[in-house]
Amino acid sequence: MFSSRLNEKTRRDFLKLSAAGVFAPTLSGWLPVMAKAAAAAGRPPAKSCILLWMDGGASHKDTFDLKPDSKGAGEFKPIKTSAPGIEISEHLPKIAGIMNHGVIVRGMSTPEGAHARAKYYGHTGYREGQGGLVYPSIGAIASKELGSPDSSMPNFVSIGGRSFGSGFLGPKHQPLLITDPNRGVEDLKAAASATQFDSRIGLLEKMEKAFQREYQADSIIDHKTTYERAVKLMQSKEAKAFDLAAEPAANRSKYGTGRFAESVLMARRLVEVGVPFVEASLGGWDTHQDNFKRVKSLSEQIDSAIGALVTDLKDRGLLETTLVVWMGDFGRTPNINARGANPGRDHYPRAWSLAMWGGGIKGGTVVGKTDKEGASVVERPTNAQDYLATVCELMGIDHTKKNETATARPITIVEKPKPFTSLIV
Amino acid sequence: MLYRPLALFLLTTGLAVLLGDVNPAEAQTAKEKKLKRLEKFLKKTPDAAPNAFNLFDGEVAKYLKQLQDNAAADQAKAKVAGYPAIPKNPAALAKLIDAEISRELVEEKIAPSPRCTDDEFLRRAYLDIAGTIPSADKTREFLDSKDSDKRTKLLDELLADPRYGRRMADIWTAKLFPVDSANRFVLKEPMHKWFEEQFNKNMPWDDLVTALVTAEGSVEANPATTYFLANRSVDKLTDTTAQHFMGIQLQCAQCHNHPFTSWKQTEYWGMATFYSKVKIDNPKNANKGGDNTKIGVNEGNTKARGKDFFPESAKTVAAKFLGGPEPKVSEKDPYRPVLAKWLTSAENPYFSKAIVNRTWAHLFGRGFVNPIDDMLEENPASHPELLAMLAHHLGTAGDFDLKYLIKAICMSEAYQRTSRPFSDNKNDKYRFSHMTMKAMSPEQLFDSLTQVTGLGKAGTERPAKAGKGAPAGARAQFVTFFLAGADSANPVDYEAGIPQALRLMNSQIANNPNAVRAVVGSSTKPEEAIERIYLTTLSRRPTADEMKMLTEYVSKTGTAMTAYGDILWATLNSSEFTLVR
Repeated sequence: MFSSRLNEKTRRDFLKLSAAGVFAPTLSGWLPVMAKAAAAAGRPPAKSCILLWMDGGASHKDTFDLKPDSKGAGEFKPIKTSAPGIEISEHLPKIAGIMNHGVIVRGMSTPEGAHARAKYYGHTGYREGQGGLVYPSIGAIASKELGSPDSSMPNFVSIGGRSFGSGFLGPKHQPLLITDPNRGVEDLKAAASATQFDSRIGLLEKMEKAFQREYQADSIIDHKTTYERAVKLMQSKEAKAFDLAAEPAANRSKYGTGRFAESVLMARRLVEVGVPFVEASLGGWDTHQDNFKRVKSLSEQIDSAIGALVTDLKDRGLLETTLVVWMGDFGRTPNINARGANPGRDHYPRAWSLAMWGGGIKGGTVVGKTDKEGASVVERPTNAQDYLATVCELMGIDHTKKNETATARPITIVEKPKPFTSLIV
Repeated sequence: MLYRPLALFLLTTGLAVLLGDVNPAEAQTAKEKKLKRLEKFLKKTPDAAPNAFNLFDGEVAKYLKQLQDNAAADQAKAKVAGYPAIPKNPAALAKLIDAEISRELVEEKIAPSPRCTDDEFLRRAYLDIAGTIPSADKTREFLDSKDSDKRTKLLDELLADPRYGRRMADIWTAKLFPVDSANRFVLKEPMHKWFEEQFNKNMPWDDLVTALVTAEGSVEANPATTYFLANRSVDKLTDTTAQHFMGIQLQCAQCHNHPFTSWKQTEYWGMATFYSKVKIDNPKNANKGGDNTKIGVNEGNTKARGKDFFPESAKTVAAKFLGGPEPKVSEKDPYRPVLAKWLTSAENPYFSKAIVNRTWAHLFGRGFVNPIDDMLEENPASHPELLAMLAHHLGTAGDFDLKYLIKAICMSEAYQRTSRPFSDNKNDKYRFSHMTMKAMSPEQLFDSLTQVTGLGKAGTERPAKAGKGAPAGARAQFVTFFLAGADSANPVDYEAGIPQALRLMNSQIANNPNAVRAVVGSSTKPEEAIERIYLTTLSRRPTADEMKMLTEYVSKTGTAMTAYGDILWATLNSSEFTLVR
């Protein structure tokens, strides 16, 4: 009788051997070069990433890739920045002041023009529904690869907006969601006094001990671990990072007012205590109508917040080890639509911009270029996989590594990468 | 006896044909219908057959004899194939299950754990079948009952309980209605309600799958069409059909020959062709002032031309059953009934095995094949003979009757083993020497907490964020929060994270003085109150040691109610509450 029944994991390993070569990563020629360059530069990897997600898709021609001589140039004028030769929107003066620390990627060109699908793609590098799986967002990947399982703080926090989760990486790498940064972590405070809470925990510990002694199941231990981490978080001083009231008012006001400003401030406080990935989102960029008024108002919000964030990080010596990313679903049409009372721009994934600061990138540069109209990419087109591979590279994550799904299917972190060599210091 | 009036009716029909009163063609179809009914009846009560045979003469009698011979042939075939020819009898089936499970245990020299206690059985059966813990009163009644047959009676009670339908609907809606941005305008509730109804009236599984696969019309008229509305492309339909009804993960073969199995890309698209003519309304249109219940599905006689219905990888290939022949299909006839017929027939070796494996996994945490939807040759079953026997039985004498299957499994010793490890069997996962400790799904957790604390009535503390679809109720919000992004709960691992633990510890759920009062009721002595708390939450009485420890706790604490609140808090946050022992 064939008695060695293979369980799900060993079966997959066995089959892997017999299908050797099927999933061999297709390395582009860039990676070995880059790895050497990074090693030569002695650049330490970024410890944290702050992803600022512009929900709805920000108009590139009205923010980071102005084309004043184009057909649909719009109402904004470009201004000079602290990076020679680089100009951005006049409504981003504080960001202009820190462009010498930043990189603009103007050659983003992606295949998804529907919000949800574009967001999915931008967060995971995979297309929604591909291969019948739910893929992990970059935050979950950072949590898995860089996060400490013993840390009292969560490894992935998402503030203010809809989060992208861990997909097949499972609940351990789901983000801690903060809907209102002013309120901090939901249910973080005990409902009872400290003494009563301690008595309750004492009771619970006794019950757990007895149950484990009788039944000895792994899930009992997992339950205990989760509860211990939760209690640790409740009691940790790092959890103070979630408390915005603890920030000196003078500094807090530099970020501006409103939920986004508070989210960005909380993000800084979280990376200060070592959280590897924080995402904060700002909605309202879906400017089919009334593009200019709305983008101006949104620009003011990101200008204060990002200006303050990057300056703060620099002042605290954290900029080299913190990567800040500004991006969204896609860009917006180079032409202005004539529908409705106030003109707007529609979805446009064919050419758009994202920007990065810190994390060891070579500041004051532009990667990729669009044509006169800002309608197509004429130099260095890059997609979500290029961007995500770069983030991995900067954070010291091997993006060719494979993670396993629940059915032990190996899935590469980022498929077919071509990272930006010129962004590495 | 039923057969007398039926027989008379048949006799008169036969006479009517002979005497030329009735159009032979009509009579033929009518006769076929009657015979089909009789066949079904005979399957259920094989003892009736000889008597029925004796009653008639002529043509009708000949047909009946044929049926009788076929049944005997089946039985004989079954004996030859090694399948014991057991009738549809849950006790008999349970014995068969135990014979096979025990045989393996003896061979592997693994000692089985003893029978579970009444409290373990009560809580386990309640959660597995009805999706919630029993009330304190029910617990007391069951534990104190001296009826030797109480466990089997409980199974009957639970299978007749409408909460069984809800539990099955929770499971199947999660499988067939994926969380996908494309589904935000599709109503989930009609599908859930439809599933509840079908499972509660115990629609045979083959009929249920047929109804789903061939569903037509608007959501309002036929909520089963939601399956198509929630999977609006030919590859999603093919993937889900293969995965959930055949236990096969086919999706890799969409774009290339499956690396680990023999499924070729052409075979994938051969199956997908059965869905190629389905026309599915765009739910987005419903949202623009239309009614989400009026959108629907129908099958045309030309290839569907909906946007994105065919993915880039689509191949045009003749319709072919997976691992089976190419049926003769005419383009002007619907393809889906052809698929449904084969899918649910004995010719499809996967159908019956898949539902048996799923049902086993539902009750034991793990199936004979794991993962439960990866039933390939390369992924052997832990008990291949038992799986084959159960699959064969369910598809023949068993009539694809799921309540029957569940009852039979729950009557077995294998199901009724304690989850406490015994002797050396702690590390056994696949021989069922002891029951696996399962974790409650978010739905079970919500329903159980509601039972204890009235959580659902307290409502949500946070207002629901109005999405584009229907606003989520308290139960749906809780489930989404506790699923933490997963598609469905994994019964074998405890997967909740920090936010879930914080919610249970510090939110209203376990900190509600009204709930404490409701649980403790009019108890005058601490022993009473403590017993009440344990019966309500853990479905058992406290042990002597526990009672000692807890009465001491009460006497040390300021007010009794505060102490009871603490004890209730602890039981609700304990692993014993959230796990299914």
